[in-house]
Amino acid sequence: MTTKLFGEPVRRREDARLITGRGRYLDDIGAGALAAAFVRSPHAHARVVDVDVEAALDVGGLVAIYTYEDLTGPMAEPLPVLIPHPQLHAPRTGYPLANGVVHHVGEPVVMVVATDRYVAEDAAERIVVTYEELPVVVGIDTARAAGSCVHPDVPDNVAARHHQETGDVEPALAASPHTLTFTQTIERSACTPLEGKGVHARWDPDDGSLRVYSSTQASTSVRAAIAAKLELSLDRVEVIAPDVGGGFGVKIVHPWPEELLVPMAAIRLGREVKWAEDRREHFVSSAHERGQRQQVTVGFDDDGRLTALDVHVWHDNGAYTPYGIIVPIITATQLVGPYAIPVYRVVVESLYTNTVIVTPYRGAGRPQGCFAMERTMDRIADALDLDRAEVRRRNLITPDQFPYDHHLTFQDGRPVVYDSGDYPGLLEKLTALVGWESVEERRAEAAGRGKLLGAGMALYVEGTGPGPYEGGHVQVLGSGKVLVSTGLTSQGQGHETVFAQIVASELGVPMEDVEVHTGDTRRFGYAVGTFASRAAVMSGNAVALAARGVREKALRIAADVLEADPSDLEIEEGVVQVRGTPGASIPLRTVAVLSNPLRYAFDEAAKQATQFATHDDTRPPVAPGDAPGLEHRDYYSPLRSTFASGAHAAVVEVDPQTWEIDVVQYAVVHDCGNVVNPMIVEGQVHGGVAQGVAGALYERMAYDADGQLQNASFMDFLVPYASEVPDVVIDHQQTPSPLNPLGIKGAGEAGVIPGSAALASAIEDAVGRRVAAMPISPSELYDLVRDPSSERTAAAGRRAGTGATA
Amino acid sequence: MNLDGSAVLHGTPDDVWRVLTDPEVLARTIPGCLALTRVGEDAYRMDVAVGVGAVKGTYAGEVRLSDQKPPRSYVMHASGAGAPGNVRATVTIELSPSDEGTTTLAYSADAVVGGPVAGVGQRMITGVAKRMAGQFFTAVDAELSGAGVPAAAAEPRPSAAAVSSTDAAAPAPAAAPAPPQVPTARPGVPAGTAADLRTLAVGAAGGAGLTLLGVLVGWLLGRRRG
Repeated sequence: MTTKLFGEPVRRREDARLITGRGRYLDDIGAGALAAAFVRSPHAHARVVDVDVEAALDVGGLVAIYTYEDLTGPMAEPLPVLIPHPQLHAPRTGYPLANGVVHHVGEPVVMVVATDRYVAEDAAERIVVTYEELPVVVGIDTARAAGSCVHPDVPDNVAARHHQETGDVEPALAASPHTLTFTQTIERSACTPLEGKGVHARWDPDDGSLRVYSSTQASTSVRAAIAAKLELSLDRVEVIAPDVGGGFGVKIVHPWPEELLVPMAAIRLGREVKWAEDRREHFVSSAHERGQRQQVTVGFDDDGRLTALDVHVWHDNGAYTPYGIIVPIITATQLVGPYAIPVYRVVVESLYTNTVIVTPYRGAGRPQGCFAMERTMDRIADALDLDRAEVRRRNLITPDQFPYDHHLTFQDGRPVVYDSGDYPGLLEKLTALVGWESVEERRAEAAGRGKLLGAGMALYVEGTGPGPYEGGHVQVLGSGKVLVSTGLTSQGQGHETVFAQIVASELGVPMEDVEVHTGDTRRFGYAVGTFASRAAVMSGNAVALAARGVREKALRIAADVLEADPSDLEIEEGVVQVRGTPGASIPLRTVAVLSNPLRYAFDEAAKQATQFATHDDTRPPVAPGDAPGLEHRDYYSPLRSTFASGAHAAVVEVDPQTWEIDVVQYAVVHDCGNVVNPMIVEGQVHGGVAQGVAGALYERMAYDADGQLQNASFMDFLVPYASEVPDVVIDHQQTPSPLNPLGIKGAGEAGVIPGSAALASAIEDAVGRRVAAMPISPSELYDLVRDPSSERTAAAGRRAGTGATA
Repeated sequence: MNLDGSAVLHGTPDDVWRVLTDPEVLARTIPGCLALTRVGEDAYRMDVAVGVGAVKGTYAGEVRLSDQKPPRSYVMHASGAGAPGNVRATVTIELSPSDEGTTTLAYSADAVVGGPVAGVGQRMITGVAKRMAGQFFTAVDAELSGAGVPAAAAEPRPSAAAVSSTDAAAPAPAAAPAPPQVPTARPGVPAGTAADLRTLAVGAAGGAGLTLLGVLVGWLLGRRRG
């Protein structure tokens, strides 16, 4: 049955287009457009003394050169602080083009527009910018020392001090039978989507309208920002996200300087202008994430049960805070994971440094929080000589405790109340899936082969689907085609497939008849965006509600025609029929035609709706309160986020000759409530695990003390190939969310969250040395093991005592 | 926008005055000067071809003069218009004796730029202006030191910038009896020239500024003939 598709592993309908080169990405648009290129700061912190364009004037094809002096009105003001927060006491944002001072390498100073990108780059190369260098702040330690500051009016480099607590932590710690205090670090990484950012703008001087294509995760908000900054009426601006080659968070930030400057140039020059970010630009001028220092103090009893948790996090937010303190808040609130913690206090200091801005990257602060919590569990187990799975089990929130209120405030300003879940169930499935009980045998077997084997696990809870809302529009055409549109954007997640599955199931039509459109403000003007694993939850429920509205209207119209009661009707395969009465039926497409009373018959089908074909004289053709057309628009706005969960386990083998780390097994148990399409959910998990492994073993942003990013290329910044990504075995658990009609939870980011925690645990288990900093490379592991001062785990000591290899 | 600048020329104010009042010299020295005609008492028209980046095109300039204190200063109320855009400006020009028999020519313009050219960015417009003003003053200074080319050779031609290659160090094509180039050893700084140029965007109105200079001389020309 093709109309009951919810929950089926339907193949992604967009893939045929995307993998055969028929996708339409930003750079496929506007072949004849003028091209923009940028002169970006080579210094991490400097005063712009002079911009000399003389030498660029000889470049044939040069069209325009813009600097800060050319910005007027709102464009000359700082970029917006998108998400203000009372604890963000010193927000700072840059300007579209540097206004006198640059705060990180890669900050745009001059925009050049020319006949093509080659010419624009040639001209940009000839523009001489004179800088007066200023003291540079790089790294959390330097920022905390505050020997110099990134922003003169923020002398301590602290942008925000985020603080939440659920009780009086000091006495709770003092009363704890045991306490541990330790420090951990996680380095910077970045989304690095294969397609960088890009903007194309076309101005129509005749009707004063602007059409902008942007490789963005938030087309409606980019539209609003452009209208505000360029002082245009919203109805004169259209923003469309074409096919987008990956986002992972970096494209939710907006407006990027280029998203404002390219339209500005298009308007001033009356020409199409396009900019497509190159890879180095993406590394030094987009956004990074992850970089944190964590100090954890935990209290626990003899059984390993938590009594209190006190966490202090230092978060490197880069040069500006356009996205507020969302990442710090998520780290602070998602750190608690699936555990019941009697008393919890967290302070996150968000620090300015002369580096690229830090904004959400898939996981968005959760991998760091998970690293803190899960490694705490490992340390408690090690201290008490308990099994790591058992310590976790003893601290888990139990199924009878839902809804579970952590008494914290989440990133959406709403309470952290877990709506549903079965965490012991996750742990049980995980230990079975990975063969947790047999780890010691495997360790011995590996030792026989001269390999050090270790296993680790990590659990997480992920708040997904935050509001405020998303909307959906569903319309049945006279042809039988069903048009579905929602405002949020797609970056390859498979929305065309899952939204079609949802609507086909709700409406009772073949999926082939359903056409899905996303991220186009011409089709749907109200939306928030694609982030925080919210697309399926928010737009999935919105299009479901819209489809239900269409179904109700279809049944009402069909009931008139079939002279039946709507409650006796059903829709199957696009045909409305009286249940149990085979003859009495009418195609949905005919209902669509009849829903729009006509005077003019433009084709055969239309005749059925014309004035002499319809006979009810007792009421107007369009009844009061009714509207022509078989369509419905609806919105889904949640009370609060819905909390998905999962558990990962990794088994690694370390070669004591090369200290190469081989992930030989990776197991995932995943719970995102009702699953719309298990194949797509597993694909999301696989991708997430790949990025989790990347963050644990390979990816780091190597800044030197002068703020120069030393590995700003795919030759130097390591991303895992298929050869480095382990085979992933997945088991699903489904605890539906009571918060939304479809009972679903987000799945987009989950796979990345526990990566560093699980792998650090596994590596530590393999080599017997405490792993407190991630990512870790073979060289770093070699140094760690050779360093006599590096901490040995108690477990390793015990194993050594029993003669086992460590 | 406000555009100020000055040039130290090798000659006394009277020398400079004389050179600046020779129509053939002016036809030779004003970059891209296509036509210079008197259209009435104290009213003149001049066409200048400008060819740098998007500032390419021919500007027709008209000017009315006031506050004339020969040989010391003038005020021009001028407008220049062409396909690339238009400009309205008031320019004060002063000649004053300087060290060792040199003369300082100082100008101060208050200009309003409009049309397509106004959209290409201030740095670009001022860059073009610096380029052309440099060429003009260098050429005038060459005339003062007797290095000018014969009047017979004078003919309308595009500005040097228009025919320069994409190589910043390229010499002017031999074909055109162009005014001395300003070799740019370093971008933006005219080097190897006799004139000490401290121009700041005399033509910041995208060539129209040069039109104004040209019209200034056209006025002097008309006066002498009259």
